[in-house]
Amino acid sequence: MGKEMLTGNGAAAWGVRLAEVDYIPAYPITPQTEIIETIAKWISEGSMDASFVTMDSEHSMVTAAGAASATGVRVFTTTSSQGLLYGFEMLYTVAGWRVPLVMVNVSRGLSSPITLGPDHNDILALRDTGFLQIHCETCQEVLDSILMAYKLAEDERVLLPVMVNMDGFYLSFTRENVEIPDVGTVRSFLSEYQPEHAFFKAGQPMAQGVAVLGGEFYSYFKYQMHLASQNALDVYKEVCGEFEKKFDRKYGTIEEYMLEDAEYVLVMTNSFSTLGKAAVKRAREKGIKAGLLRLRVLRPFPDPDIKNALKGKKAVAVIDQNISVGKGGIIYSEIGGCLFNEKNRPLLLSFIGGLGGKNISQEEFEFIFDKIVSAVDTEIVEPPYLLYTENEWKDMTKLKETAGKE
Amino acid sequence: MLRLRFHGRGGQGAKVASRVLGTAAFLDGYNAQDFPLYGAEKRGAPITAFTRISRENIMERGVISEPDIVIVMDETLLSDPQAMPLSGLKKGGIIFVNTPNSPLETKERYNIADHVITLDITKISLDMIGNPVLSGLAAAVASRIVGIGEDAFRGAVEKELSGIISDRELLVKNTEAALYCYNAIMPVQIKTAESIREGENVITIPFEIALVSSPAINATGNTPLRRTGNWRVFRPVWDYEVCTRCMTCVARCPDGCIHVNEDGYPYADYDNCKGCLICVEECPAKAINKVREMHSRSGEGDR
Repeated sequence: MGKEMLTGNGAAAWGVRLAEVDYIPAYPITPQTEIIETIAKWISEGSMDASFVTMDSEHSMVTAAGAASATGVRVFTTTSSQGLLYGFEMLYTVAGWRVPLVMVNVSRGLSSPITLGPDHNDILALRDTGFLQIHCETCQEVLDSILMAYKLAEDERVLLPVMVNMDGFYLSFTRENVEIPDVGTVRSFLSEYQPEHAFFKAGQPMAQGVAVLGGEFYSYFKYQMHLASQNALDVYKEVCGEFEKKFDRKYGTIEEYMLEDAEYVLVMTNSFSTLGKAAVKRAREKGIKAGLLRLRVLRPFPDPDIKNALKGKKAVAVIDQNISVGKGGIIYSEIGGCLFNEKNRPLLLSFIGGLGGKNISQEEFEFIFDKIVSAVDTEIVEPPYLLYTENEWKDMTKLKETAGKE
Repeated sequence: MLRLRFHGRGGQGAKVASRVLGTAAFLDGYNAQDFPLYGAEKRGAPITAFTRISRENIMERGVISEPDIVIVMDETLLSDPQAMPLSGLKKGGIIFVNTPNSPLETKERYNIADHVITLDITKISLDMIGNPVLSGLAAAVASRIVGIGEDAFRGAVEKELSGIISDRELLVKNTEAALYCYNAIMPVQIKTAESIREGENVITIPFEIALVSSPAINATGNTPLRRTGNWRVFRPVWDYEVCTRCMTCVARCPDGCIHVNEDGYPYADYDNCKGCLICVEECPAKAINKVREMHSRSGEGDR
């Protein structure tokens, strides 16, 4: 097919089209709507063959998607932010059914105050559900990750749903060059889904999603989900290997940027990693041995890869584009847990930035590098920093005045 | 890397313009990235869109706060305190303004020191397309300024507009008008300074009590502060010789902007009339004319 200028949303729609999905229950929400608009247009034109149903809410949408997946067909759906939370109950439920549903979440900050710009409190609220999570930096990655997600989810060693995440606006509405693979190559990579455990056949009735009473039964099912998710780390690597062979694009659970000889490391996720990489380049020009580790797979959490990548580093700054109110950055805690038993572990600093799509400026990255370097000198790690600039504070003061606050 | 920022009003085509330019640059062999920013998606409200063009990988995302080139698709935005189209323009940057005035007049009127290019693309659009839809035309101007080849530009216009215009004849008119604008502008040698960014201080924000820090508005009556009168492309003007004082226009105005004078004749509150022209459509006596707005009207902006 060649290269095209596509938004993240357009790339997601292409991923779904090329995966030859059978069924798409849909409900619109900014900044996700363009995905389902594009798919709906293709289906009505006849260029895509799938059943498309508009639902009454995200709760019904996730239920329909999970149920359809349990009949043994390939299913896609997508939402964002408030919509994800509205369907939240069913995300746990569907993961427990062990069906290979693939969803896209287009990240957007959560109410209140209600907003449109991206951060990751929505997607990270899912971290304990059983959904696997792939986080994307570029529009290309969105398309590729959807294809990889089906292969991963449908593997019998895994059989858990996958959520592919992209940032609202910064990816969803941003166009860049995207290579659209041809459907033949995609078919040779992603064969038709052959369900062994969850399907709908008149001659072979079964009850799915049943109740259990008794902790010993309940624990078994939860542990099995965890073991399947752990398996996904190895299966994912196989999927990446095959993907690279077919499409010549290389992915891992993490991405290492100028990391090999780095002493000071930024840990980031999603589209703001591009800004982080530019900051690393600038820091290198100033003589700071900087690098960046981007987390691509957050569930399962790639502990061995992270430990390996951060071995021997002097200090690591986790930039969380989320806030666990009353605790701080969510990924900071996870990296901390991952590294705690390592000998010679690096100092770990926490920064919160980019909430609701707030920019992280060059000066804020410089501030982060200053703090990392001085933490190594003094061996004192201060509490989490909430990144904010003087100019932003001036704008906030003006807004408060308009609102009659002062 | 060249960074372009388009300023328009919702419905004028700033987003599509940024996309046509992005595709044109892509077809001409560059790396490109385009991105629109709009709030509550209101027709007439100020919106911005961005295009980055580079030979290298583009290591930036989000809004462009320091553009090399600014494309002002609606002159009235130059005095809009929320749009502020000239903010952050790099030293040596270029400003295109959609206006019937000359660059010199425009520089004087708005007190601009940088390089100004002007063309009345609204008039070209009205004459050649029949509607003030500026997407292809603004993209043409931008493409020409940055030196995109004509073939790449033509390919981009056809590719982007054919997805949203189904009427073949209208598509041809749009393409012709865009190419007319492309050829009416000369390419420019762009020599912007690297960066004029003032260092931003990172601060620690203090705790404030919920009376201050909750998302509630305590002030009352601030809606009138935001005037919408400069959203108009056309102004409705009554011919009292023809007007029958039937009050249809008063009843039909969706914004309650038409009042009645002592003699019983309707008149518009031009501070807030958005120029939707429903009154012109609805008037049974055809007593309301539409007159094109020409200049920024600073008196009709925000209070």
